[in-house]
Amino acid sequence: MPIANHHSSVPVIVDEDKCIADKGCTVCIDVCPLDVLWINEATGKAHMKYDECWYCMPCEADCPTDAVTVNIPYLLR
Amino acid sequence: MKTYDDPELQAIAVKLTSDDPGIRRVAVMDLVDSGEPEAVELVIHALNDPDTNVRQEAAKVVDEFEAADMADALIAALGDNDEVVRNSAAHALADLKDPAAGEPLLKALDNSTDAFVVSGILRALKPLRLAGAQSPALKCLSDGDPRVRREAVAVLGWLKQTENLPALVETAQRDEDPEVRRAATGALVYASPQQVGQALIGLLQDGHWQVRCEAANSIGKLNHQAAVQPLMDATKDQLWQVREKAVDALGKLGSTDSIPVLGECSKDAMSNLRKAAIGALGAIAHSDCRPFVEIAMDDPDPDVRKLARWAMSKLDAAA
Amino acid sequence: MKINDIPVIETDILVIGGGTAGPMAAVTAKEQNPDLNVMLLEKANVKRSGAISMGMDGLNNAVVPGHATPEQYVKEITIANDGVVHQPALMAYATRSFPMIEKLDSWGVHFQKDETGDYDMKKVHHLGTYVLPMPEGHNVKKILYRRLRRNRVQIENRFTATRLLKDPDGNIAGMIGVNTRTAEPIIIRAKAVIMATGAAGRLGLPTSGYLFGTYENPANNGDGHAMAYHVGADLANLECFQVNPLLKDYNGPACAYVTGPLGGFTSNAFGERFIECDYWSGQMMLEFFKELESGTGPVFLKLDHLAEETIEEIETVLHTNERPSRGRFHEGRDVNYRQRMVEMHISEVGFCSGHSASGVWTDETGATTVPGLYCAGDMASVAHNYMLGAFVYGQICGESAVEFAKDRGEPKLDEDFIKQELERIQAPMKVADGIPPEQMEYKVRRLVNDYLQPPKVTKKMEIGLERILAVRADVGQLCARDPHELLRAMEVQSIIDCAEMAARASLYRTESRWGLYHYRVDYPEQNDAEWFYHSRLFKDENGQMASGKRPIADYLVSLGEEKDAYRKMRVQKAANG
Ligand SMILES: Cc1cc2nc3c(=O)[nH]c(=O)nc-3n(C[C@H](O)[C@H](O)[C@H](O)COP(=O)(O)OP(=O)(O)OC[C@H]3O[C@@H](n4cnc5c(N)ncnc54)[C@H](O)[C@@H]3O)c2cc1C
Ligand code: SF4
Ligand code: SF4
Repeated sequence: MPIANHHSSVPVIVDEDKCIADKGCTVCIDVCPLDVLWINEATGKAHMKYDECWYCMPCEADCPTDAVTVNIPYLLR
Repeated sequence: MKTYDDPELQAIAVKLTSDDPGIRRVAVMDLVDSGEPEAVELVIHALNDPDTNVRQEAAKVVDEFEAADMADALIAALGDNDEVVRNSAAHALADLKDPAAGEPLLKALDNSTDAFVVSGILRALKPLRLAGAQSPALKCLSDGDPRVRREAVAVLGWLKQTENLPALVETAQRDEDPEVRRAATGALVYASPQQVGQALIGLLQDGHWQVRCEAANSIGKLNHQAAVQPLMDATKDQLWQVREKAVDALGKLGSTDSIPVLGECSKDAMSNLRKAAIGALGAIAHSDCRPFVEIAMDDPDPDVRKLARWAMSKLDAAA
Repeated sequence: MKINDIPVIETDILVIGGGTAGPMAAVTAKEQNPDLNVMLLEKANVKRSGAISMGMDGLNNAVVPGHATPEQYVKEITIANDGVVHQPALMAYATRSFPMIEKLDSWGVHFQKDETGDYDMKKVHHLGTYVLPMPEGHNVKKILYRRLRRNRVQIENRFTATRLLKDPDGNIAGMIGVNTRTAEPIIIRAKAVIMATGAAGRLGLPTSGYLFGTYENPANNGDGHAMAYHVGADLANLECFQVNPLLKDYNGPACAYVTGPLGGFTSNAFGERFIECDYWSGQMMLEFFKELESGTGPVFLKLDHLAEETIEEIETVLHTNERPSRGRFHEGRDVNYRQRMVEMHISEVGFCSGHSASGVWTDETGATTVPGLYCAGDMASVAHNYMLGAFVYGQICGESAVEFAKDRGEPKLDEDFIKQELERIQAPMKVADGIPPEQMEYKVRRLVNDYLQPPKVTKKMEIGLERILAVRADVGQLCARDPHELLRAMEVQSIIDCAEMAARASLYRTESRWGLYHYRVDYPEQNDAEWFYHSRLFKDENGQMASGKRPIADYLVSLGEEKDAYRKMRVQKAANG
């Protein structure tokens, strides 16, 4: 069966100006229980790669530079 | 610089000497994953970093380590010019619960004047219950800053020493800050009714409702029999929250004199108050309670009905 | 030793799941014997994994001297579960609960205390006092992590366990799993294994349709239940589903335990209380469900009658602990506790002993029916365990596992089985044109909602089972483009296992019990003559899913009059309803 890619709006936003992943930080990526945050190869900063968020917030709470904002997923908003 | 046997810790130590504060900051975060006891030294080192962000990061991770190993560094950090650093240090200190930290804490208390620092140290001293904390805490009861007075009350409350009662009573009655008065009122429960009963009755008239609630609560805990009438008066307080606590306390005191007043409350419009009243009538379990409990069996509120059924079984058992 | 070129990792004690019970089990094993190798394997990262990832705002079931006795607790939990409990296991919890609080307190966990330093217990139930608030309970995970490092437990993050291993004598021998970021398999040999993989929380589908908007942490998808089944352990009372009251759409708990002592309550549309039942139980959920569907519904959390200071206190607790995004959710909808009641609903179904009573059968030593395998927390069958129960049973399992491993030699591994399992793990990455895990998961969970969610109807459940088995037949088409999708592909297979177990267990017990949890419309009565048993679910000699009955152990505490008090509470009809 063929597979299509479909868009979805993800709830977690990373402020790339604040993110210090380029200095070696991976805190948000480490703590996420669902493993949905990854380094964006293009920018070297953290981003939400999979739309599978529990809006539990360790990523936001533990980020040293306050770069992460967790929004409520659109379906529940 | 010192070298470490553990390769991971050594790598972190190297990063901590980087010129780039960003890299030093990330290195501090990595310390958390090290199981090596020596990691503590590096945290202490980072607490003295020239860069505020690095110090903040170090302060944030201090509670991941055994604080006893760094009591001195934490106390020093209480005087940091950055608020985040000071705050984290105070929290970590409060978690110490290690008697070995008592001496340095007391010494630091002696040398500190900043209200934030002093209240942080008091908070750390509280769970240690050190006799040596008594006299500085008593002194702090007259500090100009309410945060200090509040923590001093807690230190004395946890010490549970009879000789501190007059000072606590005084604070409960006269402090200008309602939260300090409330805390002091709550602390009086380690006394006997003879020692603090009269004061607690007076506090039922405090200007702030949370103090009045706390007074009723403390009277109930102490089972202060002489307070029945004042509590009955308090069931007419303007705020239902106070009335509820007064009713609870009357249930604990168990006096049949209060039955008519409780009966009144059991018909109040506020269901939380009806609930408390039926609970109190059930606790008293005197046959005079029965008519009120009978009515409550058909109360529109199921919580009131549940309590009424429980009260009825108590009445039946007593009959 | 190597199998298929994969080195076999050796350890004495293996703990699977590093949420709440798991870290306690690992630390306990090390405390018992620091020379043992103890490994803790976690699908996520132990720093922030599991139900308490952001902390917890209170103990719901603390048995503190002076406020409640173990006997009283055992009695009440027995009644709340309509009698079907293993009392020795409840008693073991009840007697250890206070020493555990003291231990956690000495580790730095913050419990609420009064101004003189005594525990500040709150009365929420009418018969006993069990609630101990933790307004500053956000540091629990940090403290556990500190203990793990201090005791030098070996931590393996980002590995998901997929199957348990047995030796030829039927004793536990270890596990197989896979790295969630590299797809590299891992084989571990262990002398004793403790599982603490939490609830099966991705079973029903939340009404929002969002797969990860579950009550439970979605990393808890029932892997442990599936693994226990496949290794031959008994599961118990799976038809006793978990259904919890929640804020509508948000899937954060209703927090009666936080707001109750401060005067808030669950109300109907008219701002009136309606819950007759005095225990957190299926009976209470049945009342909740009926009110939702009635003319006075839906259901609300009512706080708008409270003083400003009280509301601020509630907000601080609810918006910083446990599920802190709650504040953001309310903001988005312009809901303020001061002005409006908050709409509530019920959760999707799941298996969870923390709140109900189902799971892998465990006795008072934490032992399952497979020698050397222990279970703790939400996946083990001890009723109403909550967080403190997870800690207590983590500790019990740690002790039992050390004892089991003591004189045991190196367990023998079944290489053929391991090779088969490696193939199963590697299969989805080899399928190019197949079905993505997300779609298969949506499908099976939608079937759970349509056919298994209570009120349960026999014919519907039979159709549901047939359709679930049809999804199972598609598993060979599962495809994964990367290691992360492989994780989801492995998870969906556990979800299918759990869905089948949910259907079969529900069909087996031909009566209604536990209020809404097992409310069968065509068998509306509780039938003690035939069903005063634990139901068993297990793999029979032919590898088929089978059911049976397990007698209920003699009670340690008889129920006496309180049973009648409870009965009276449940028959009464709401006077205004
Ligand atoms: C939202 C919410 C609120 C709650 N509120 C309260 C409360 O106020 N008071 C109270 O007492 N209790 C409360 N509880 C219940 C309590 O939190 C749980 O009962 C308890 O934490 C369960 O512990 P556990 O160890 O069984 O599971 P968890 O702590 O969830 O740990 C399970 C772990 O297993 C890991 N795992 C899963 N599958 C695998 C696999 N295949 N391989 C490896 N690892 C795996 C998971 O990632 C997770 O870390 C609440 C629960 C929730 C969800
Ligand atoms: S935690 Fe913050 S700084 Fe670190 S990688 Fe994530 S977003 Fe960037
Ligand atoms: S909110 Fe939770 S699930 Fe979502 S990205 Fe952050 S840590 Fe991961």
